[in-house]
Amino acid sequence: MIEIKGITKTYGKKQNAFLALDNISFEIPDGTTIAIIGKSGSGKSTLMHAMSGLDRPEIGEVVIDGENILTLKQRQIDAFRASKMSFIFQSFFIQPNETCYDNVVLPLEIAEVPRGERRAKVEAALAAVELTDKIKSKAANLSGGQKQRLAIARAIVNEPKILFADEPTGNLDSTTGEVVEDFLFNYSKENNATLIVVTHDADLANKCDAQIEIVDGKIHSTKGLKKTSEGKAA
Amino acid sequence: MKITDTIRRAGRSLRQAKARTLLTSLAIGVGAFTITLSLAGGQGGRDYTDAIVKANTDVNELVVTKKAPVSSTIQEYSNDGSATTTGTFGRTVPTIKDADIAVIQKVDGVKSVTPNYSPSVNYVTAGQKKYVAALSTFAPSVTLTYAAGSVSGDLKDSEIILTEEYASVLGFASPADAIGKTVTINATMLSTIFAVAPTTEDVAFTVKAVSSASGLAFRSQSSMLISTSEAKDIYTFVNQGTAAYGQFQLASVEVNDASKANDVKSVLEGKGFDAQTAADVLGTVNTFINVLQGILLGFGFLAVLTSIFGIINTQYISVLERTQQIGLMKALGMSARDVGRLFKYEAAWVGFLGGAIGSAFAFIVGTAANPLITKALNLGDISLIKFTPLQIVIVIAGLMLVSVGAGILPARKASRLDPIEALRTE
Repeated sequence: MIEIKGITKTYGKKQNAFLALDNISFEIPDGTTIAIIGKSGSGKSTLMHAMSGLDRPEIGEVVIDGENILTLKQRQIDAFRASKMSFIFQSFFIQPNETCYDNVVLPLEIAEVPRGERRAKVEAALAAVELTDKIKSKAANLSGGQKQRLAIARAIVNEPKILFADEPTGNLDSTTGEVVEDFLFNYSKENNATLIVVTHDADLANKCDAQIEIVDGKIHSTKGLKKTSEGKAA
Repeated sequence: MKITDTIRRAGRSLRQAKARTLLTSLAIGVGAFTITLSLAGGQGGRDYTDAIVKANTDVNELVVTKKAPVSSTIQEYSNDGSATTTGTFGRTVPTIKDADIAVIQKVDGVKSVTPNYSPSVNYVTAGQKKYVAALSTFAPSVTLTYAAGSVSGDLKDSEIILTEEYASVLGFASPADAIGKTVTINATMLSTIFAVAPTTEDVAFTVKAVSSASGLAFRSQSSMLISTSEAKDIYTFVNQGTAAYGQFQLASVEVNDASKANDVKSVLEGKGFDAQTAADVLGTVNTFINVLQGILLGFGFLAVLTSIFGIINTQYISVLERTQQIGLMKALGMSARDVGRLFKYEAAWVGFLGGAIGSAFAFIVGTAANPLITKALNLGDISLIKFTPLQIVIVIAGLMLVSVGAGILPARKASRLDPIEALRTE
């Protein structure tokens, strides 16, 4: 369960202050797939950063499984992200000069997973995205769709309960994009993991259980979500 | 992140920028090369002088002379025999006499005092031609290298050690051939030198050993060696009845314990003598070597200083290039400390590589140059450049530390990178 309680984020100071997030509240039950939609600059990426503890809003709480991660120390947030969350980005951010294995094993190293358990986990993650035969290939030699699948393998290798995907299909054609989407939704379904997709692709958003539309830092509309106690969601 | 994983990742990042890594580490390599060579040269030089002193002097031995008058003005002549005018331009050189020897003998810690009997003799012969002879006394504690035969303990009276050169001119086929043969030394009594028929004597010696030329020994190379008591006998025969009899320019003092040498030295200096210990001789030469080594080391450290800026520069560029990678690692939960470590370890790798390349190159050059130097300076079997594993390990470890120090600023920049900024691609 992720509870967002009244988070507000301001950029800049005094006259130049810009309200990126304005008192946003909602709840996401475990295992939900949810799309955060909105135009660029609407604040949807900022919301994702706040939910993952990468950014710290001045006001509000992000309560995950009963713990407000915004009050944690930096090291604790890092450890939290390493063990419970993962990310997929529009531009993949894979290391082209490293092998697929070395790309995928990174989160396991960061989370200090014992060395003996790593190989099996990496192989399982690569199998899940059907890249088993590429384990020793350099990431640079993969096609665009394969690169994003590799990024998914890296994201799911440590079995996160929360998966953030920031425009995961933005750099892909629709056919490969759909394949990538299927892998993401499959993971969520099979592991009861929460999938939070930031996108402005309406088709992708419609595949999700729920949607939140952000306009100018405020929740403009929601679909498939319960209203929170604050009642701010329209 | 586990330290071993961080180290492996750091090494892998460097392999992906091979040319840059190599060039940066070569800059350190120059410093490592110079430092390693100067350390090895200093070590070899000190070992060399150490060996020279050990081969020619005794650590328990002090060379004692009478203190020369401090004033440089011309002294009034006295004919009481207290001074001989052997010094040039009328300057007197004070000598050590029996009374002085008695004084030295009483000093605490002195085992024995031997005046320097260097009897001047006429010639040496093995029965055929006669050759000018140079004689010295044998000291058991001085290491000699032998071409044939050997001496254990002290040399007996009527035994002699020839040099290879003497053995050859005296007509022996080989050094081994000379062993056990008899050579005769002829000396003249100086007090009878103006008589119609000066008194001479022949002393027969059995050849006990033949010393070989060594890069270390300068005494054995020119003189034949006989025992001290035999030298004293010949000295007495030659000089008895002359004014110089019983006066010696120097005496060697044997102390009970090498550690007491300095105490004895200061006591002797208080009593009007000059004394030099083996350590003094070694110290003078070593000071020279240390200064030379210091200069070379200075150049090495300058090279390292320059390479520090190279490392800082390279690592800054590396941080900039890998902004997104750093952002991703932070997003995946890598702590700022681990990110900083990653870059510090990269710098350490660069330092290790530079140190290894530089000292390996120094080792190759030094090892190749050693025979050439030895040949050019005619040192026999001596190596002037001596590498020790410890030195190389210290050089490499030191350079790794320096590199990590240089990597601190770029590492800090990496660790403070905001992941949101780093991952913003638009």
